[in-house]
Amino acid sequence: MPVSVRRRALVLLLALGAALALAGAAYAGNGGFAPATPHSPNASGINDSYKLIALFTGIIFVIVEGALIWFIFRYRNRGRPRTAEGPQIYAHTRLELMWTAAPVLILAVIAAFVFYKLPGIKNVPAAKAQGGPLVIRVEAHQFYWQFTYPDGATSIDELHVPANRVVRVDIHSEDVDHSWWVPELGGKFDAIPGVTNHTWFKANRMGTYRGQCGEFCGVFHAEMTARVVVESDAAYRSYLASVRDPLILGGQEWRGVCAKCHGLSGRGGYGPNIAVNAVLVEHAGLLRILEHGQNQLRPVSSYMPPVGRGWTDAQVKALEAYLKTRVYKGAPSGG
Amino acid sequence: MAARAEAPPRYREDWRRGRVASWVTTVDHKRIGILYMVTSLVFFGAGGLLALVIRAQLATPDEHFITRNAYNELFTIHGTTMIFLFIVPFWAGLANFVVPLMIGARDMAFPRLNAASYWFFLFGGAGMFLSFFASGGAAKAGWYSYPPLSEKFYSPGTGQDIWILSLHLVAISSVLGAINFLCTIHNMRAAGMSWMRIPLFVWAVEIYSILLLLAIPVISTALTFLLLDRQVGTHFFDPSNGGSAVLYQHLFWFFGHPEVYIIILPAMGVLSEVIPVFSRKPIFGYKAIAFSTVAIGFYSMLVWAHHMFSVGLPNFLNVFFMLSSMVIAVPTGVKIFNWIATTWRGNLILDTPMLWALGFLCVFTIGGLSGIFLAAFPVDWQVTDTYYVVAHMHYVMFGGGVFGVFAALFYWWPKIFGRLLDERLGKMQFWLVFIGFNLTFFPQHMLGLMGMPRRNFTYSHHGLWETYNLMSSIGSGIMAIGFLVFAANVVKTSRSGPRAGNDPWIADTLEWYTTSPPPEHNFDRVPYVTSARPLRDLRRRLAQADAVG
Repeated sequence: MPVSVRRRALVLLLALGAALALAGAAYAGNGGFAPATPHSPNASGINDSYKLIALFTGIIFVIVEGALIWFIFRYRNRGRPRTAEGPQIYAHTRLELMWTAAPVLILAVIAAFVFYKLPGIKNVPAAKAQGGPLVIRVEAHQFYWQFTYPDGATSIDELHVPANRVVRVDIHSEDVDHSWWVPELGGKFDAIPGVTNHTWFKANRMGTYRGQCGEFCGVFHAEMTARVVVESDAAYRSYLASVRDPLILGGQEWRGVCAKCHGLSGRGGYGPNIAVNAVLVEHAGLLRILEHGQNQLRPVSSYMPPVGRGWTDAQVKALEAYLKTRVYKGAPSGG
Repeated sequence: MAARAEAPPRYREDWRRGRVASWVTTVDHKRIGILYMVTSLVFFGAGGLLALVIRAQLATPDEHFITRNAYNELFTIHGTTMIFLFIVPFWAGLANFVVPLMIGARDMAFPRLNAASYWFFLFGGAGMFLSFFASGGAAKAGWYSYPPLSEKFYSPGTGQDIWILSLHLVAISSVLGAINFLCTIHNMRAAGMSWMRIPLFVWAVEIYSILLLLAIPVISTALTFLLLDRQVGTHFFDPSNGGSAVLYQHLFWFFGHPEVYIIILPAMGVLSEVIPVFSRKPIFGYKAIAFSTVAIGFYSMLVWAHHMFSVGLPNFLNVFFMLSSMVIAVPTGVKIFNWIATTWRGNLILDTPMLWALGFLCVFTIGGLSGIFLAAFPVDWQVTDTYYVVAHMHYVMFGGGVFGVFAALFYWWPKIFGRLLDERLGKMQFWLVFIGFNLTFFPQHMLGLMGMPRRNFTYSHHGLWETYNLMSSIGSGIMAIGFLVFAANVVKTSRSGPRAGNDPWIADTLEWYTTSPPPEHNFDRVPYVTSARPLRDLRRRLAQADAVG
């Protein structure tokens, strides 16, 4: 193939590739070219920082890769013998100083912009008009999220908050490291035993946002998801009242805490069949396994996390009520 | 006098000449280097197979190709293997082979210690893979094994303990190797080879060794504490008894970030050898590249907590580690600009080693730029522990490390074995790996930004998640074919490849002065070194002598 034809084919191929990439991006909306569409001021600040960095790195990318590809084409061998040397240029101090200083300047601009945005991302607004932020205690457990509201009510894997309200999240862990993350409402903050972390959000749109554990925490890490339901003030208040019902809270506990491993009917999944296990309706035994979990290698390797570590009496009672009425199928007969 | 001249008994020599025994008992730096490289490439193959299974599991949503626990074992051992058993020991092997030759030395400073560090590495690596048969399976708390998850209660079974002990062996191997490299480079250089005349790969190995010496004892400490927690009942990392889980993270990343540069600096050193030789020009800015290597080594010790931005460190620490992480981009940028400047107006010979080097420049730039997003800690809060980091990390470790490894293999293969690898197969491999690599890892940036967390056994999203994941899995298959082509290349050329001669590339450094493969004593005579390009000086002197004669 003559060189000119080959070059034209290559240009065509590159243009085609670029067009495909652009079409893909357009089709996909943001398609993974920026973090999730923000619905809280802190997430917006992060997105703005991302976009500024993307602009600068994009320019550097085009310059560096452009120079690289251009030089490869322009100075390729073209049949010259291996012994033919290029000009013996050893260094150029001014040029090298320039390309040391330029990145420093670009990085300074990026850092300055990030620091300018930082207070809006990090600091919890005082929200004096609303009587201060709504404080939610988030407890991470293997493998569920527990939310405690200011009035002491709790819910599992599902957090309800009013729209446009500043919510401060206090993050704890009762066992191993986890990370609290709802992409549309801001970044990740780790839940580490012995450490309390804080973040906040102010959701500007009603709806359900998906959150998930961001730090590998064990075998059901992928199932450690949360839903943040942003709703009207009235709906929020009625939700708080509803989780006071032991059967509702107990149902959340069953689905979030037990059923991920033992199956929705309790007949076993990853974990063993417990629907017929009398411990479910025996207070002391249930309390022991909730608080301490189980960890043995023999006769069969079995591990259960201490899922109920730190639970209140109300939580245990709710679970007991639910187990008795909805899950326990009685001891196996004929045994 | 006569009694003293009597030869010692020769029986030991005889059994040492056996085909296997000669390799087991060798203290020759070249043979140890080959052992190191072959072993680490076997681990590369094994770690790659684990990765292929991971990609098969993630190819489609709600896949149950393997169990959850198996998945967690796979990504743990994949990461551990690639870092500890493939790339760091590969550089130790390559440096073993070429550093003494490049500086005109007879061997490494401590040949027996050298053999010891290889055997520590082999047994550590073998232990790691045998841990799949441990009670409770292999370690499954990630290659970083954060406590409390890696503590006895949350990770029962002996896999985690074997993981710790295997890493201890590998760590000893690395420290012994590093001491050996430093003593060799400092004391055994040829006459005339001042610090500004040593090859840039040797500069890279110098800093690689210093970083190993500084970083490895810290990981050994952390692992020892963890082992004591698990086996003796101490509470170093157990918060419910007054320990600190965050302390482990500091210790781990104080090692973990220099480790990144331990991996990448030798690859950069390879580029600084390959690019000038195949551009038929001197390296642009020898001093800038050498000093930027030192600067990267220095700053790499000051950036560790950028792995911990979501831990909830005080704000001033986040700010400090953000700025230090950005600063380290500057000497890295200097290197990239200098390499590109080296190709300017050159006579670019696009043989396979050069393709790998240029491929490195192309993809490593992407890895470097995506790192700037991660250095800005508010942005890191969004993308850390997602596939964005998996993509970034592979663009650096694979796009930098593995591309560097294959640039080195194709460049020094003729010196090591005396025969050239097949160019056609080499180029085919390069393009398969280059395309497969980008197809595998580029979509992972998007997956991460769309919210796919790392280390998830499966996912339930459809649409673009599915598309990108499938692209990624297909790419991993294409890469695998590329590496099979390399195996075919080795088999094909091992008997029938063209003889290389001393200096097939018309290169600049001393290793090309001796025969291929070099004799046991390396050089009959080492020329006086007059610059960083002693062989080119020699060629010019010979040409002048011819012209006069």
